[in-house]
Amino acid sequence: MELTTDILKNLIKSAQMAIEHEIGCDECFDELHELAEMELAGKSPAEAMPLVKDHLDKCGSCREEYKALLEALQNIENGQK
Amino acid sequence: MINWFKRRRNKNTSYDTNEEWVEALSPPVDEQAVDVLRKKLIQGLKPALHKYVDRELDQFVEDVAQDALLKVLDNIDSFRGESKLTTWAMKIAVREGLTELRLKRYDDISIEDLKPEDGSREVFSLTVASDETSPDRSLHESQLIDKVMQIINEELTDKQKKAINALMIQGLPIPAVVKLMDTNRNALYKLVHDARLKIKNKLELEGIDPDKMLDKL
Repeated sequence: MELTTDILKNLIKSAQMAIEHEIGCDECFDELHELAEMELAGKSPAEAMPLVKDHLDKCGSCREEYKALLEALQNIENGQK
Repeated sequence: MINWFKRRRNKNTSYDTNEEWVEALSPPVDEQAVDVLRKKLIQGLKPALHKYVDRELDQFVEDVAQDALLKVLDNIDSFRGESKLTTWAMKIAVREGLTELRLKRYDDISIEDLKPEDGSREVFSLTVASDETSPDRSLHESQLIDKVMQIINEELTDKQKKAINALMIQGLPIPAVVKLMDTNRNALYKLVHDARLKIKNKLELEGIDPDKMLDKL
């Protein structure tokens, strides 16, 4: 199998973005409800919880869950208005 | 008798505060509170999950809400109050729903289907032989590939190579790799994180600037 330029770029970018203290999916999940309320209140996730935001930037599955959570919460909020 | 008083007292509660929710969802559980929470979960889950569910959305969401409620009740002691209880419960429900959908997506695919077609696609046996160099691939690019492959081969464990191969080279989605490697998402993330860090540190140690590498590609 031959490595394509795109794969190589992704590999290098992914390594380049690695930081010593990244949190895992479990730690991210522990904070997600708090971050969601902060974001819905207008706070920047990167400022409020930088490590969680960093994880969400790097993990597609957690990002998918976070987006779905925001959507669910917004819908409840709208339903109450 | 105490339980009866508690249930009776809770009967007209609107569950506005976390304290009210926690009390109502702690044993003995106030069924009315469970019902209010179930309705809220369903209300939020439907729009959040509809794009992932192709049929029977109502039934799916109700099942998810029910499973999530059981988890909420089992873990009510662990709720620390950093958010509204309903937000915390919704987080549990959303993960429950998406996990279920991901499992379904890969349920029909066997591990054999996910494995590389032949051994040569394993990262640890990957080499870029000069006769494989395509005419439009520059010498510099080939050298970079050689260097990255050398780092992968020499620095990473077999498990890390397998994960990097599956995720980044074959491009398999995370749930598929979790199934392929018989692991969980958190462990996979940590495994790949260590691998990425090793590659980064080795590049730095060898005086290679990733930005310059990327510029030249």
